[in-house]
Amino acid sequence: MAKLVLPAGLLVLALLGVPMLLMLRYSFNSFDPLYLMKEAFTFGNYARAVVDPYYQKILLTTVAVALASTLLTTLLAYGPAYWLARMEGRWKSKLTILTMFPLLVGGVVRSAGYMALLSSDGLINATLRGLGLITVPLQLLYTPGAVVFATVGIVLPYMILTLASVIESIPRQVEDAAANLGARPGTAFIRVLMPLSLPGVLAGSTLVFILCMNAYATPLLLGGPQFQMMAPAVYDQFARASNWPFGAALAFLLLVVTVALTTLGSSVIARRYKAG
Amino acid sequence: MRLTSLIYRGTIVIAYTVMLLPVLLLVVTSFFRDAIIAFPPTGLSLEWYRNALTRDEFLSGFLVSVKVAAIATAIGVPTGTAAAMALVRSRLRFKAAITTFLLGPIIVPGIVAGIALYLSYLAVQNRLDMDIVGTLPGLIAAHVLLTIPWTVRVVISGLQGLDRSVEEAALNLGARPRAVFLRVTLPMMRPAIVAAAMFSFIQSFENLELTLLLVGPGMSTLPIAMMNYLEFQVDPTLAAVATLQIAVIAAMMLITDRYVKLSRIV
Amino acid sequence: MKSLELVNIRKEYGDAVAVDDMNMTIRKGELVSLLGPSGCGKTTTLRMVAGFVAPSAGSVLIDGRDVTHRPPYERNTALVFQSYALFPHMSVAQNVAFGLEMRRMPRAEREAKSLEALRRVRLDHLAERYPRQLSGGQQQRVALARGLVLNPDVFLLDEPLSNLDAKLRAEVRSEIRGLQQALELTTLMVTHDQEEALTMSDGLVLMAGGRVRQSGSAQDLYERPADAFVADFVGRSNVLEGRVEGGSFRMKDGTALPGTAVPTARYYTLRPEKIALTSPDQGVPGTLREVLYLGAQTEYTVLLGTTPVTVIRATPGPDDTLARLRPGDPVGLRWNSADARLLDS
Ligand SMILES: Nc1ncnc2c1ncn2[C@@H]1O[C@H](COP(=O)(O)OP(=O)(O)O)[C@@H](O)[C@H]1O
Ligand SMILES: [Mg+2]
Repeated sequence: MAKLVLPAGLLVLALLGVPMLLMLRYSFNSFDPLYLMKEAFTFGNYARAVVDPYYQKILLTTVAVALASTLLTTLLAYGPAYWLARMEGRWKSKLTILTMFPLLVGGVVRSAGYMALLSSDGLINATLRGLGLITVPLQLLYTPGAVVFATVGIVLPYMILTLASVIESIPRQVEDAAANLGARPGTAFIRVLMPLSLPGVLAGSTLVFILCMNAYATPLLLGGPQFQMMAPAVYDQFARASNWPFGAALAFLLLVVTVALTTLGSSVIARRYKAG
Repeated sequence: MRLTSLIYRGTIVIAYTVMLLPVLLLVVTSFFRDAIIAFPPTGLSLEWYRNALTRDEFLSGFLVSVKVAAIATAIGVPTGTAAAMALVRSRLRFKAAITTFLLGPIIVPGIVAGIALYLSYLAVQNRLDMDIVGTLPGLIAAHVLLTIPWTVRVVISGLQGLDRSVEEAALNLGARPRAVFLRVTLPMMRPAIVAAAMFSFIQSFENLELTLLLVGPGMSTLPIAMMNYLEFQVDPTLAAVATLQIAVIAAMMLITDRYVKLSRIV
Repeated sequence: MKSLELVNIRKEYGDAVAVDDMNMTIRKGELVSLLGPSGCGKTTTLRMVAGFVAPSAGSVLIDGRDVTHRPPYERNTALVFQSYALFPHMSVAQNVAFGLEMRRMPRAEREAKSLEALRRVRLDHLAERYPRQLSGGQQQRVALARGLVLNPDVFLLDEPLSNLDAKLRAEVRSEIRGLQQALELTTLMVTHDQEEALTMSDGLVLMAGGRVRQSGSAQDLYERPADAFVADFVGRSNVLEGRVEGGSFRMKDGTALPGTAVPTARYYTLRPEKIALTSPDQGVPGTLREVLYLGAQTEYTVLLGTTPVTVIRATPGPDDTLARLRPGDPVGLRWNSADARLLDS
């Protein structure tokens, strides 16, 4: 029985474990404009990735967008998740499908949809113009706000589905008991439902944060040429600059920051709730 | 209306609007006549659908995406399910560490894993003198990194909710372990396995980041074909492609829902 | 039908002993109840018989044959789980036919047999339904039929009535007993409900803390409890602590109770329904503290010294002197000294 982990384990080892080690090794090599990559053992790439203000700014922007998007997504997802979790009958199935549907459509397509919403001739500007509220279109597209807005929209289904499945496992009687003991809905939510659904919040926000740190299409399409985030920057090192060692170092930096922040975040939230 | 209830209803309306409006917008704009998407349109047309269907990259991208997703799912779901069974049921040591390892591809940002794979593919290519980047097997191998962790994740939670006494009842009625597995355990895991297959397929089908560097001429997935098109022009062609894709996906979901109630598996 | 025998059977989980050197015999066609408080090792015992738990020591004999090391699917036992454990993805008929299919019985034959088993539990009209479409009582009867159809050597029931409501419980109780007697099934039933055990069984085994405290017929345990625990657990009992002193039993508060032939004892036990209420001068004097009307019966709490004693009598008619008793009234208690049991432990 224990042997059953082997096929999956070996696949992940071969396709992720070994490649990551190879990339780690490359990140210590040096770049040569002529031969591209030279065998070496230097921390220069990491030093550059950390010290260069250009990449500092990109990393900070990425973390800021990911944090803002994760926070907004969590706040926005609770209501729908509760609604979905407590719904009964055939509507539940319909609503579940409706929530999963955007996932299947994919991030690229939905990013394009947000462009049609936010562009200067997009739905929002056209509506405001039609109402006579503005004459010059608002600059909505190609702003950091547009990136956060679209990112939230794109990762919301994950958060709602994860939270809903945890809320569903919380017996309704627990909430009824809180109400019976005199807790108003808001209080019952903060004192009972939120602590109990914490595993769902952790699982959901971890997943969402990773997706945000990793976002490629959304910043590229909605952020405009001036707006830089990590995923496109790392990609550029391979697709355009061909600086593998530096690209590998950047990729590891992104990985380490992502893992460190998710670990930190989950332990802080878990501790706060245990203490409170 | 109390503030609590206002916030509750408000977030529901906002969340579903933010999630679904862009999809709806794309469907609508795919029928606009103007080359630059603008509201209100000067007229309607089906021109963009003709363009979408005559451009080879979208149809071939769709076919590649379906092939990759289907095969990666076919590999990831059985291996992932087997691993999940071992992780929940066997007396394996270091279970927590192995689980984290198998879920690793979800934790590692896709762009990072994609680059690592790209470098490894190139390294292997140089040694064996064969192409991997830009081939179907290369893409499928990469997408197995999506289907395995999602299957492990979904099936583990499904198995934990399974009533062991039902399997014991089968043993008690004279079924040998093999028969118990085939006749009782597996059918009871069906919803979890279908959910795993669905999530795996979705993850593979819509993936962009992991795949970016691994495509090649004539061997590109639909999301990448769309991304490339978008970087150069924003006209309703993409909306038309998206609408066609949405129609196919909606049909697939409705058919799946007939056989397994999706609300019961998520 | 076959007999069941447990010989010095024992189960340890780490340092904890769940079942401790247990011996038990069930003769062919008998129903024996395994009774005891929660956590005393009943389910563990049942699971050792079915083969889900390997004993740490001792053996399980079915019809004299040692099956201790046989896997569950090679013992012809049928276990009805507390949760029923029906196969959710199979119809009622498929559930019942499953065991026969495992025994490679041809389809036509097994269909006929399962329908017959379903008829026995009056569910043949629901054969095509799925478990989730049945009520709790119906699911219970499917679980029964699924075991019965195999004509098992030993029939095992784990708290079969615990998930049913009070009215259904009485009904299913007599149904199970009826089937068991009609089919002469050798049956081991686990329960923590003494009424269930007393009304359904040919024999009782009372467990506590993994050990057998007493076994025998319902009368044995009720009339002749081996110790104070048994007296208290089976039926209700006044368990009065004290010691024997000069021919009478002196309680801790000093009150003397009459009629003792034994030299030593720590407990004086007396069933509430064996005590008569009289005027203070005709029995051991005490004070009435509480009257609890239970319908056909009335329960009186009387203080002898400072020790409360429970008395249960048929509810008196309106003209009866007993009907005029109020808390605080002086009363006398009288009983046949043969009904008192003096116990050392
Ligand atoms: N798998 C197990 N591992 C450890 N201890 C167990 C296990 N199963 C039962 N026990 C312990 O054995 C004792 C008897 O349990 P059980 O047979 O289920 O009691 P009952 O059915 O009489 O309520 C309990 O103290 C229980 O905690
Ligand atoms: Mg039990």
